[in-house]
Amino acid sequence: MTTRVLIVEDEPEFLQRFTEAVLADPGLTLIAGVTTGRAGLALLDAQPPDVMLVDLGLPDISGIELIRHAAQHLPDCDVLVVTMFGDDAHVMGSIQAGATGYLLKDAQATRVAAAIHELRAGGSPISPSIARKVLAAFRVAPQPAASQAVPAPPAAVAEPSPLSERETEILRLVAKGFSFDAVGEVLSISPHTVVTHVKKIYRKLAVHSRGEAVYEANQMGLL
Amino acid sequence: MKPTRWACSSVVARLACLVRIAAALIIAVASASPAWATVAQPLRADLIVSDQTDPPAEDDARWRPVALTHVERAPVVWYRLRFDADLSDPAWVLYLPFLYGGGRISVNGVPVAQVTENSPELHVRWERPVLLPLPAGALRAQDNVLLIRALAAHNSVNTMMPRPVLGPQAALQPMFDRRLFGVRTLPVVTVVSGVVVGALVLLIWFRRRQEVLYGLFGLAAILWALRTTTFVFDALPPAAWDVWRLLYFVSTGGFIVVMALFTLALAGWSRPVIVRGLLAYWALGPVAYLVGGHVFASRWWVAGLIPIGLGLAVLALLAAWRRRSAETVAIAAALVVAFGAGLHDYLVANSSPLIQALLPGWPDRRLFLLHHAANLLLVVMGTLLAVRFVRTLAAVEAANRTLEARVQERERQIAASYERIAVLQREQAATDERQRIMRDLHDGLGSQLFTSLSRAERGALDADAMSDTLRSAIDQMRVALEALASDEQDFRTAFGNFRFRWDTRLRDCGLKPVWQVELPDTMPAIAPHDALQVLHIVQESLTNVVKHARARTVTVRLHHAGGMLSVDVVDDGVGGAAAKPAAGGGGGGGGRGQSNMAKRTQRLGGTLETEFGAHGGRVSLRMRLADKPPDGSPGPEPGLALP
Repeated sequence: MTTRVLIVEDEPEFLQRFTEAVLADPGLTLIAGVTTGRAGLALLDAQPPDVMLVDLGLPDISGIELIRHAAQHLPDCDVLVVTMFGDDAHVMGSIQAGATGYLLKDAQATRVAAAIHELRAGGSPISPSIARKVLAAFRVAPQPAASQAVPAPPAAVAEPSPLSERETEILRLVAKGFSFDAVGEVLSISPHTVVTHVKKIYRKLAVHSRGEAVYEANQMGLL
Repeated sequence: MKPTRWACSSVVARLACLVRIAAALIIAVASASPAWATVAQPLRADLIVSDQTDPPAEDDARWRPVALTHVERAPVVWYRLRFDADLSDPAWVLYLPFLYGGGRISVNGVPVAQVTENSPELHVRWERPVLLPLPAGALRAQDNVLLIRALAAHNSVNTMMPRPVLGPQAALQPMFDRRLFGVRTLPVVTVVSGVVVGALVLLIWFRRRQEVLYGLFGLAAILWALRTTTFVFDALPPAAWDVWRLLYFVSTGGFIVVMALFTLALAGWSRPVIVRGLLAYWALGPVAYLVGGHVFASRWWVAGLIPIGLGLAVLALLAAWRRRSAETVAIAAALVVAFGAGLHDYLVANSSPLIQALLPGWPDRRLFLLHHAANLLLVVMGTLLAVRFVRTLAAVEAANRTLEARVQERERQIAASYERIAVLQREQAATDERQRIMRDLHDGLGSQLFTSLSRAERGALDADAMSDTLRSAIDQMRVALEALASDEQDFRTAFGNFRFRWDTRLRDCGLKPVWQVELPDTMPAIAPHDALQVLHIVQESLTNVVKHARARTVTVRLHHAGGMLSVDVVDDGVGGAAAKPAAGGGGGGGGRGQSNMAKRTQRLGGTLETEFGAHGGRVSLRMRLADKPPDGSPGPEPGLALP
């Protein structure tokens, strides 16, 4: 059983690049490579993939919408978002919409395939600054020792974080600049377990973000 | 008082009305006569001018009749009075409103009492009245004979005999008490309160010399207390007498002069000429007493005080007319009353025919008003001072409040301006930092892209070189983003992002990356621009290792100790010339790469060592970290600094 991949990328150059990377890997099957968000949506419903590679800057609808659609209707589908610089804003938005991994746009073909396999194996990598952002999104202070210096918003008290202690600890270590190997050593778990935790964290963040959106909307009287 | 009198239109006229009413009231009270029919009040007497000590005979030819009250210009006078007594009440007493020089009294030949007489050994001037019990057996129902040997008080040429009152003690005691209260108790109260109040006010003035009004008022109160001792000490030895009388003139004149100065100062009319004139007249008083004697001084020098008082009263009235404030009206009223009382006393004391004509019988009672009026004057002036004092305190408090409010306002302004300055500084620092990074992009990435473009356009760039160039450009952008995206300015986060990116890349290239990061929490912050330089150097080194070293392992070591940051990139590649970055021709790498590293090291103020041998290469950066962010760059927010 190979991993079925859908690619949504509006730039032909990169569409070709990713397509070739997928086709070159025997463990991967290409469902389709499309250049518009609507086509992507249609394909998501018609032929649910295992992994969707999606660029955010699509001409018709935002990649975020596709991610959200996939996360809501295809719980088994992993979304790998394509980003030019791996910058925080784009990545965070994607993760909150439901993406569980991201891929740099200039990645070599082998890296593209490797990233898809890692994701299917249950692991999601995370950079320190994204870890910080995730902690902030959950309203958990990045460093407990400095909690008085970075006061957590009051909601942190009122509403217990959905993160487990282990997950919080992992995020804190990553945010401090620890590598997965180092995090694994500190917590006496394998680096692979670390990235498995990260994937769970991403999923929780997506759910949490939707809850937050509803909460915010309620607060604003929109619902 | 007719109602029309109340229609007085002017303040002065109204004041005059008030004075008249007051005078009428005083006279009415003072002249109240006993209503008992049993009381005997002989209005006539017989007298013999003689200093003999034995009573003159009943049929002495020298007896001549006079009306009482009587003033005889003689040192000693014998008076004989006849009266009938109602013997139903046996406890009869004799009441004499005054007996200034003392004397001896007998009834029907029976001695009643001896009031200490003026003598060369003891000078007396009895101000207090006399109430003597008459021996019960000595009285008859009719035709009792009262014999009084009366003397002139010391320094007086006249012997005076009041209208005596004889009757039951119950009837006469209140009259005696009333007079005693007026001529003895009130003066004692005046002396004591004058000294106490004067001393207190002088104490205030002593601590605050600029408050001349307090000094004058305190002096006036003390002088008046001294002057009033006239009514307190009745008998003194001759040595003390002269000093005491001198004191009387000093204090009387002094009180009037000082009060005048006080009024002038209060009204703001004080002129040096007037002040000097008043002080000179004051000094004349004791001189007049010493040179001309008591009578001369009290007749002529005291007379001179009257125009001064009149002038004062007129000035005060004018001021009240002009300003019509409660203060000026009160001063004017008090001064007019005091002047009237003083004039009255002068006329009474000198038995002036004028007052005798105006108020027949009144001078005989020898009631003096000035010390009551002076008390009133002191109370009025004291009240005004107190009001001023309270007003000043209120003004000071108000001023303090204003000042406090201003200080607070100023503090707020200063705090706000500090806040603005801090904001500007932060903005300036951020701008500086941005400009440094822009310059960095311009000099590095920009110039690299232009050079590569030029080479590509003349066909000197093959596909691999082009790809290297572009990757290098993208890497530079990424490292810049990493250095800048760590808005917390936490170098470890920036480096973590860098490591996160490069770890995958190195592994994908078949290298085993080893990251040894020993950056303690207490490490000083590194400004984004400096972090960018460090990351650039590491990235350049790693790029070289990937491209040229053919290594299996690459170790990146970051270490901070003793204020020094050490960065080492060590590989186990083939080394030698082949590994030297200078040998590489790729865009962005190669010789340019090394010269770029040298430039960045220079910007950091650090040292860079490179060595490429047969067993691998090493790039070592050493730099000292400032405890504070360099050249005023924003520095970490306190809460976001490395813990």
